[in-house]
Amino acid sequence: MDPPGTAREAELALVERCRRGELGAFEELYRAHAGRLYGLACRMLGNTADAEDLLQEIFLSAHRKLDTFRGDSALGTWLYRLGMNQILDHVRSRAGRAGQLTDGLEDASTLPDASGHRLADRAIDRIDLERALAELPEGCRAAFLLHDVEGLEHREVSEVLGIAEGTSKSQVHKARLRLRGLLGRHGA
Amino acid sequence: MAHDRYLNSIQEAVDGTLGSIRRAELEMHLLECEECRALYEDLQRIHDAAADLPAMPAPDRTWLQVAGRLRQEGRIREVAPPRAVRKPVNWTWLAAAAALVIAVGGSLLLVRRSPPPPVPAPVPAAAQTASAPQPAGNAAAVKSVESVQNEVDAAQQQFEKAIAKMDDLRKANMNALDAGTSATIEKNLGIIDQAIAENRAAVKSEPASVAARATLFEALRQKVSLLQDTIALINEMRKGNNAAAAQLVNKS
Repeated sequence: MDPPGTAREAELALVERCRRGELGAFEELYRAHAGRLYGLACRMLGNTADAEDLLQEIFLSAHRKLDTFRGDSALGTWLYRLGMNQILDHVRSRAGRAGQLTDGLEDASTLPDASGHRLADRAIDRIDLERALAELPEGCRAAFLLHDVEGLEHREVSEVLGIAEGTSKSQVHKARLRLRGLLGRHGA
Repeated sequence: MAHDRYLNSIQEAVDGTLGSIRRAELEMHLLECEECRALYEDLQRIHDAAADLPAMPAPDRTWLQVAGRLRQEGRIREVAPPRAVRKPVNWTWLAAAAALVIAVGGSLLLVRRSPPPPVPAPVPAAAQTASAPQPAGNAAAVKSVESVQNEVDAAQQQFEKAIAKMDDLRKANMNALDAGTSATIEKNLGIIDQAIAENRAAVKSEPASVAARATLFEALRQKVSLLQDTIALINEMRKGNNAAAAQLVNKS
């Protein structure tokens, strides 16, 4: 996610054009990052309508906050952080309204026992995996999506989620074990 | 049950961060322990399946909504389309071009002069009357909306007609420009045409969306503006007016 020198300079130049109010520049930024943020939002929220609304808010918020982007991290990481904060706020407020308890991002509780739920030999079905993902607590789902789906390193996941690197590892590992249990139970 | 001692190694192997010594130790263990081997294989498959999940492209309408909101909030500076590269060329006169630019430009001004903020789309007179007090009742309201829609459609057609005329003129006279300048103009027109096509599709899927319509008009306006500048540039080059051409290229 950390771009090399010239790519970083290009990112800073693009951000500067966006700050000056160039719509074309902001569209370029949007086209480069919207897909990944939209995928993340869909998989965190479980429906495309909310994800679309949130994607809109994320980019409007990004435009407002471009002045705070200093280039210390990659633009993609900065957007992921901004986006994930809004996504998690949304998930929590929804869960709060429904009176559901959710796990915190710092929660690295005991790993569930996934033994006895071995996966079948056939390939993991995409729809089964998406369904199982939706059953994960949001903390480990967020870390898993960023690490295993989006391909971020644990250092970057920790930066995006504002957690320790060790917590990122434990959350991703917990997610994989839970997914094994869920997919094994569903006969994947 | 998998051995707790190897659980972290298995996960780190799947992460791709396990060091060579611990990896060798794990591999030895996996040869002997069926449970741990099964766990490793399953987690690796989950990791691989997750990495293969398809991308989910954001719908185009979301960008249109974002752009519309940015305009509404006044956070966008309207930028002229990219200019042609300044190049020394042969200059001669093109009087007909100037006449047509004035004629077409004049008609466009009529279309462009009455956009209500914040939507930059050209809204003709009938559209403005729609915001005035209307007779009570749904029928009147429906008629008013239809009327506005028709006027907006008509304005769009005017734009497109003017663009077609100007584009024909440009194509017929592009030989007045050098190859580099022509290529730059063609490239910029291609970008705008792509934007127009996308925006047109968005309007088609959401005919009632003000933001979608506004963005389409914005793209059409950009094309008109670029064509006007191109024809003016051709005009100055044919006149042999280097200073005016340079000023045109540099104006932003």
